Amino acid sequence: MIKMAAHCDFSSLELLMKASSKEKVVKVCNDVYVMGSSQSDGLLSSVCESLGTRPNETKKMIESLSSVLKTIIFHGYTEPQEIQSLFPKDFHKNLRDLITKIALDNMNTWKTHSISTQVSLPRLVDFDWRVDTKMASDSVSRTSVPTCILQMKVQENQTDVKTTPENHNINVELSKETLDTMLDGLSKIRDQLSSVARR
Amino acid sequence: SKECLNMDLSERGLTAGKLVDMKWKLGVAVCSDECKSLNSPFVAMTLKVADASGKISTHTFELTIPQFQNFSEQMKDMAARMEMI
Repeated sequence: MIKMAAHCDFSSLELLMKASSKEKVVKVCNDVYVMGSSQSDGLLSSVCESLGTRPNETKKMIESLSSVLKTIIFHGYTEPQEIQSLFPKDFHKNLRDLITKIALDNMNTWKTHSISTQVSLPRLVDFDWRVDTKMASDSVSRTSVPTCILQMKVQENQTDVKTTPENHNINVELSKETLDTMLDGLSKIRDQLSSVARR
Repeated sequence: SKECLNMDLSERGLTAGKLVDMKWKLGVAVCSDECKSLNSPFVAMTLKVADASGKISTHTFELTIPQFQNFSEQMKDMAARMEMI
């Protein structure tokens, strides 16, 4: 994967020096990592605005920066030297060190973002519940039986690149027995989780 | 989340199927195209739901660990609430 950085046109990164402040460079790096994988025009205009540069020259810089940042996050480098060694020896040292610092500072945030957008089954995004009483009757008596309703909102995987994925609702009714069985399963998961965490 | 006690089912006009089965898997994402080393656990579940006619549909989805913990806590709350009726 060092290959990724080798294909990078490092000289195009020097466009970052047009930034009027370090904060602008931080913003550009963040926008590029987070928005970089979607072919968004929003990213190009946001970066041009941050740097005060023209789209043509900025496009190349975004590609190179995206390549470098992705390489860094892929490897999960924790040492500055590991990141610095990606850059050519004659690369502008202050800019190299700034990008290194920004990457290290944002490593966890960007990794978390990557996890939230990685290959996945449809994701549970929200759920809601209520407990009701149901009137149950047979020929002899009427009793009120507690029951619970669980509504879960699941976000499907994106099928069309340009539109946000659809949510669909799952509405289920659970009797006390069903809920107890479910709680049993959930507690087994919790047990397994603590043993995974301990490893 | 909202709770409504002592409200008759028919008043809600919400059709809910009956949960007939819940299967789960605890997985750990080892690595991805974006991260060489992830070690990131997740819970995957499949719910089987029977509608009024008995037709069964399945729903499979993932939860992050914080989501799972929240879900688990709230299911316990729900059970506690049911005990009170």
